[in-house]
Amino acid sequence: MTDAAPESAPPACGWHSPPVRAVRLHGGFMALILALCGAAAVAGPMFAMDDYTLSQRLLVASVPVALLALAGGFIGSRLRHQRWKLDAEGLWLRQGRLWWREVRVPASRVQHVDIKHGPLERRFGLATLVVHTAAATLAGITVRGLASDDAQHLRDALARQLDDAGDAL
Amino acid sequence: MEQAPLLTALPQDGREHRLHPLSWLFVLIAQLKQFIVPLLVLLVAGRGDRNDLWGLIAAAVLVATSLAQYFTYRYRLGADAIVIRSGWLHRSLREIPYARIHNVDLQQSLLHRLVGVAEVRLESAGGAKPEAQMRVLTMAQAQALEALVRGHGASPGDARGDSSTAAPLLTLPPAELVRLGLVSNRGLILVAAAFGALAQAGGDLLETLFEHWGRWLFGWLTEQIGGHAHDSPLVLTLAAISLALTVLFLLRLLSIVLAFLHFYDFSLREDDGRIQVERGLLARSRASAKRRRIQSWTLREGILQRWLGRRSLQVETAGGPRGQQPGQQVLKELAPIATPSACDALLARLLPQAHWPALDWQPLHPRAWLKLALPGLLLIALLVLPACWRFGPPGLLVLLLAPLQLWRARRLADACGWADNGAVVAWRAGWLDKRWSLAEIDKLQAVRLSQSPLQRRFGMADLLLDTAGASPFGAPLQLRQLPLEAAQALSARLLSRMARKRLRW
Repeated sequence: MTDAAPESAPPACGWHSPPVRAVRLHGGFMALILALCGAAAVAGPMFAMDDYTLSQRLLVASVPVALLALAGGFIGSRLRHQRWKLDAEGLWLRQGRLWWREVRVPASRVQHVDIKHGPLERRFGLATLVVHTAAATLAGITVRGLASDDAQHLRDALARQLDDAGDAL
Repeated sequence: MEQAPLLTALPQDGREHRLHPLSWLFVLIAQLKQFIVPLLVLLVAGRGDRNDLWGLIAAAVLVATSLAQYFTYRYRLGADAIVIRSGWLHRSLREIPYARIHNVDLQQSLLHRLVGVAEVRLESAGGAKPEAQMRVLTMAQAQALEALVRGHGASPGDARGDSSTAAPLLTLPPAELVRLGLVSNRGLILVAAAFGALAQAGGDLLETLFEHWGRWLFGWLTEQIGGHAHDSPLVLTLAAISLALTVLFLLRLLSIVLAFLHFYDFSLREDDGRIQVERGLLARSRASAKRRRIQSWTLREGILQRWLGRRSLQVETAGGPRGQQPGQQVLKELAPIATPSACDALLARLLPQAHWPALDWQPLHPRAWLKLALPGLLLIALLVLPACWRFGPPGLLVLLLAPLQLWRARRLADACGWADNGAVVAWRAGWLDKRWSLAEIDKLQAVRLSQSPLQRRFGMADLLLDTAGASPFGAPLQLRQLPLEAAQALSARLLSRMARKRLRW
């Protein structure tokens, strides 16, 4: 590995919030997805409205699409409430604001860790980290919108703690 | 002492042996089960056509392969390993050291029992498939093999093969089985399935059934009372009530029959760190699991059970490879029905670190009852308007439900509680149907603390403690409406303990 300082401390203790570009990307992406769904849904009725001109039809159709896009942007940008932290006991992940939740996984219970990069995420230097546990409900804990470097660090730190625990056995 | 029957049943003379002479029959049956759908399609769809020849050919091929399997399968019992040679074109030789065999699984269906044989599976720690599947050995051979493996097991100091002589922790005499049938709804599920099937296939069979009932009853009543019994509301009510009672009675009877079928000669044993359940009237089934494989324990007590003075004890095991094989029994019901003191004794023996029932139960948030009552209260508020519009002022009577709902929520909140004694964490819930769930803290995998807006207003939080055995539809340890500080402190305590101890499967 090209890691310059292998014995460096795990990423600074304290809460990490997602970078602004990650929030924007997720908001934009969700807005796009929902807008496309909306467009697909109104396409049929739009063709059926024979009595109106094209511009009138487009105007009518744009209202639900725009509303859906707004909703999507709102849903996607809820990522800004996400905070994560890695300490000696494991990973903390806080999400949401109104419906707030905090998941904690000790490093000793991590089965394996995945890093996912979508094409868009790669373009912006972002990554999604999935921490797999043996639990039934909290089987895959997903940390979205990490900077690529953070994701690598987090994965290495969790994997190293796994190795350490294995040695102690 | 066990040496003599063991030697005669299963000589360790270093020679190769074949399976039971009737093995091919059971191999054939197992294969037929796999091919049952295509075979049925062939037989039914091709009826009257010339295609029935294909069905015959397929059956002949299956018989030939099962015979070939019987003639090519040999096993030899060495000093410390069993060697299995099988296959004709594709040969395989497999040597399994006794010490590696974690479990010897004996399975008997009705046919197996008639012939006096058993299907034996030798299982090691990992892997989705058993190390070896011996279809079939005589019962004496199977038990001798089990004893042999146990004797060579990881703990050689133990007495060998006395699992069947050790006194069971729990057995169910017939009176208990009747009680089990009375409290369980197995019959209901079966009847619901039957109704579904009838509605799908039978068409008007169901309708005819109802019609006959009505005609028979009405005819009888008309004779008794005379006149127009059909119009009298009294007779109609009588008919409905009697039908309901008959159905209820038949359902309970069916439940009792099913309880006998499933749980006849039930025995729960603990042996060498393994917990084993054996049960069944026609098809015997035997499920076992290592004690440390058990992820969570649940004690239940419904209303009917409480009236009869009984409880039930269930466990969740980790969904390893064992759980996913068809035909493989998963250990779930440790005690389908038992007196509270028997359940307590079982828990005290199998989960000693819980010190059950002496747990220090902590209450919920003082205003948890309000949170529990709110959804029902909202529903009542929503119902009042339509009720008034439909029935006029008497519709306001719906409001009488509100105090009832408050009272129920109060009882419910009082019944819930949580406990943590440093080794085991527990949650009790339910007012009419009571439930106590316990899990070792070392078996927890992850913890989730959550808060809805309403809960934040009250200063309470939910805590989900997830284990590997929980079903995805509702983990047993879902602690609700805890005071926020208590939930946070518990989460921190559990986490520091989980982080210290590495998970042991």
